[in-house]
Amino acid sequence: LFVLHSSLGNGDAALTPTLTYRDLFQVFLKAGLAFGGGPGIIATLEDELVGRRQVVTREEFLTKYALGRMIPAGTSAAMAVGFGYRFGGLLGTAVALGSLLMPGVVLTILLTAAFTTLQDNPFLGLLSATLLPAATAFILLAAVKLGEDVFRPSLDLVLAAAAFAGVLVFGLHPVLILLGGGLLGAIAFRGEEKPA
Amino acid sequence: MTLIAFAILVFTFTVMAFGNGPAMLPLFQKGLVEEQGILSVEQMLYAFAISQVTPGQANLFVTSVGFMLFGLGGALLATLALVAPAYFMLPLMHGYERVRKWVVVRRFTRGLTSASVGLILAATVQIGQTSLTHPIGWVAFLLTLGFSRLVKWKPLPSLLAASCTGMILVTVWKH
Repeated sequence: LFVLHSSLGNGDAALTPTLTYRDLFQVFLKAGLAFGGGPGIIATLEDELVGRRQVVTREEFLTKYALGRMIPAGTSAAMAVGFGYRFGGLLGTAVALGSLLMPGVVLTILLTAAFTTLQDNPFLGLLSATLLPAATAFILLAAVKLGEDVFRPSLDLVLAAAAFAGVLVFGLHPVLILLGGGLLGAIAFRGEEKPA
Repeated sequence: MTLIAFAILVFTFTVMAFGNGPAMLPLFQKGLVEEQGILSVEQMLYAFAISQVTPGQANLFVTSVGFMLFGLGGALLATLALVAPAYFMLPLMHGYERVRKWVVVRRFTRGLTSASVGLILAATVQIGQTSLTHPIGWVAFLLTLGFSRLVKWKPLPSLLAASCTGMILVTVWKH
């Protein structure tokens, strides 16, 4: 996924921008309604922009995706900014990002409001006794999914194990562990990846 | 903690974890649950559960946490702080030719991802000490794992089926 196929310039020049603000709103609202987190959103964007509307080449899409992965934010949010700017300038970024976030934010606020209103209700207490363990399972599943490329004999696994022990055995702060992991990765993975 | 301090914390944690929702969870657990003591484990778990069953980005549990702590303003400001780093995309797009040669960025990200996996597993153990204190809680936990991994159900039906089964068992247990 980190293979960058073409330069941004080439990708942009290949197609004339043809998305209006309304189109941007529709495309990113549809993406924001996708389930499955980032991968679900990106699959919807690819289907809309590259497949259905054909306003972006696959190369440009992959380029934006690869750049988005380097951004310290969600990849889908970074892509919303990238494509929003490509088709509508700064206002386009606000339209794309706003419509991408709207469905999730509205539903999240409504469900949280329900929780804060009903938290003293005995029914919610009963639900919490089983809902919270189920949510704990999702955290474990997220670790397993994120670690699909890590759970094999490798330096990645050593780093993951060190981070695990760093918290539970040595009580280190997660920020230190993340920074340390990144820096160790930058040093330890030298020569393991080909340049893009 | 003030609303502005909370927004700065969200921005910092987002940058630290590269916006990855589950990877941000241990940071929130340490910062808000353990150090500040303004969020309970139950609240954090509920926020995370919501982010799993709603459409859109998986890191929107931050919006839920913002609402719990500061109301609607907190939810909206937390969301803004969450997506603000996405604007780094604009200078990056302009400097693309140079950045694509920064192999070190990808190596750094890879190290970060590996460390995140260890952190999330550690957070699961720590959170489990609070949420998995009853045998029926373990049943709901294992059922969710089974429905999601083995039966390949989506998060919402997995969560509902496991939770409802657990509730029936709790009711039977009490009687």
